Amino acid sequence: MNETILRTEGLKTFYILDVFGTQKVVKAVNNINLDIRTNEVYGIAGESGCGKTTLLKALAAAIEPPLRLVDGYIFYYVDGKPVDVSTLSPEAKRKLRLDYIAYVPQGSMSALNPVIKLKETYRDFIESHVSGKTKEETVAMAEQHITELGLPPKILEAYPHQLSGGMRQRVTIALAALMKPAIIIADEPTTALDVVVQRGVVQLLMDIQKKLKNTIILVTHDMGVQANIADRVGIMYAGKIVEESTTEKIYGDPQHPYTKFLINSLPQFGDKSPRQSVPGSPPSLIDLPSGCAFHPRCPHAMGICAEQTPELITLDTDHKVACWLVGGQHGKTA
Amino acid sequence: MTFVKRYLIPRLIQYVLVIWLGITVVFLIPRITPNDPVMRMIDQMQARGSTLEPGTMDAIIRDLTQMYGLEGSWLDQYWAFWGRLFRGDLGVSFFQFPTRVNKLIFTAMPWTLGLLLTTTAITWTLGNIIGGLAGYYSRKGWSRILDAVAMVVRPLPYYIFAFMLLLIFAYVVRWFPITGGASLGAIPTFTWAFIKDVLWHSALPAISLIVLGGAVTFQTMKLLVQNINAENFVQYAKLGGVKENRIVGKYVIRNALLPQITGLALGLGQIFSGALITEIVYGYPGLGMLLYRAIVNGDYNLIMGITIFSIFGITTAILIVDLTYPLFDPRVRYT
Repeated sequence: MNETILRTEGLKTFYILDVFGTQKVVKAVNNINLDIRTNEVYGIAGESGCGKTTLLKALAAAIEPPLRLVDGYIFYYVDGKPVDVSTLSPEAKRKLRLDYIAYVPQGSMSALNPVIKLKETYRDFIESHVSGKTKEETVAMAEQHITELGLPPKILEAYPHQLSGGMRQRVTIALAALMKPAIIIADEPTTALDVVVQRGVVQLLMDIQKKLKNTIILVTHDMGVQANIADRVGIMYAGKIVEESTTEKIYGDPQHPYTKFLINSLPQFGDKSPRQSVPGSPPSLIDLPSGCAFHPRCPHAMGICAEQTPELITLDTDHKVACWLVGGQHGKTA
Repeated sequence: MTFVKRYLIPRLIQYVLVIWLGITVVFLIPRITPNDPVMRMIDQMQARGSTLEPGTMDAIIRDLTQMYGLEGSWLDQYWAFWGRLFRGDLGVSFFQFPTRVNKLIFTAMPWTLGLLLTTTAITWTLGNIIGGLAGYYSRKGWSRILDAVAMVVRPLPYYIFAFMLLLIFAYVVRWFPITGGASLGAIPTFTWAFIKDVLWHSALPAISLIVLGGAVTFQTMKLLVQNINAENFVQYAKLGGVKENRIVGKYVIRNALLPQITGLALGLGQIFSGALITEIVYGYPGLGMLLYRAIVNGDYNLIMGITIFSIFGITTAILIVDLTYPLFDPRVRYT
């Protein structure tokens, strides 16, 4: 098994909002333990509003008010040694960005500065991490980097609005790979792109991963994309990981009722029966249901589901699930 | 080339048309108002106690009408007006007779330009720098304090604020003069003594304009920066580990300045109409005062003279903004 590259322990990050004098707590990431390894694609899936983006912010060490680290730890394994992220100075964090952990934003439409040429954006990114280079050397480095990734170097002379949405997303991915980071975090990189462009964007991400042999944490609600590229998948529901396993097991033998719903909603060749979606809508993260947060929408809910929160238990190697139906926590499996 | 044909030429035609229309309206408005300058002049003469024979009065009326360019129909007056305008002749003032309008305007203009160009430049620069920093560091204590101060200062009515300054600094503690643009009898020369005298007189008007104008610029810029700070491209640059001074300058301020540049140009265009309330409160001899007196006295020629400058100022400022804007915002292109 590969070594650990990023680990969280009981991670809790809440948005603490002050609404007209009353405090509202949005439990966006609620007790998450992740163990992400080198040279793997880890997919995080779940409905909108389940805390995926917040989890990524925490992993990228970008916790800013109103988001707060309430409890738990995030460890970066820089050169094999664990580093507690909360102990790092802002400047130390800044240096790790792009060098150790890079970020591909959701909706690249507005992710690039609209008033400067891409060449300038490239220069800002390079010169913030590499010192002692002349302007010409930096631009040459940008050109070489762009060419290696199979993108036309003339886009460096363009402004962001002159590029298509797919090209802009590719540029943000290219920028993320600039300093050959150990981890690339991608937040819904294919959202708002049509399927053909989606394929190109995913392909670029995969090419980079193959070349750098690094880790990609991919967040998307598109289960089809997950199935194609992820090595392991974590299913997120209401701020918690409810099931985690290798992609084969998640798609071949899902245990959690929520996972089953997600997978059943995927179209399949030859199967013409109508697709079923998850009934109901996601719970408010301010006011979570008691016990298992999924029980109001779950067709198999039992008495205990509304009373106690199920722990994430290990079924067998690399398959964890948090459900009362599973693993002898309460008798038989579903 | 398509730029010249498809954008520049139509834009210049529009520029000329707007000026023509503006000047025409300016020509018409004083003639619609019930002020008759000739009759007012006669009234003034009679008020001074001179008794006029009916025959003499008719002669005076005829002469005045001719001199003021009020002979014939409006159309005749209009043609004569444009003829004089192209010769750069704005006629004589009715009420500071026989001083030429040109002379009155060029006497007042340096005062107004001196005061307003400096204060506009200072207000814009300081307001944007402080507002920009306060917006970027909006969670810091000093930013909140500045915000609270601006919140109190900005809604103060300008004339009350100006009077307060005058009362405190010119009447109670007497650091600055009560009125005027320079000491009485001072002769305008390029000597240090005269410049010092002018600066001393213009300090209070300048401070009043800078503080209230600066509060507005500060608040606008702070809001703009706070909005841009939440934009994806700023967040993305931060997550890419771009150095903070680059993010502040090239990502946040650079984008937030776009609307402020337009605001500056429009503000500069309005300078030619003067700053009326400032000039009244501080007895400052600028264009605003001149225009005000011209309106009260029905001094057609003077009103037209000042307004023509103002029309040129504003339309030219807008033209310059339109033509140079693509330099600041690459998303705007004229093809």
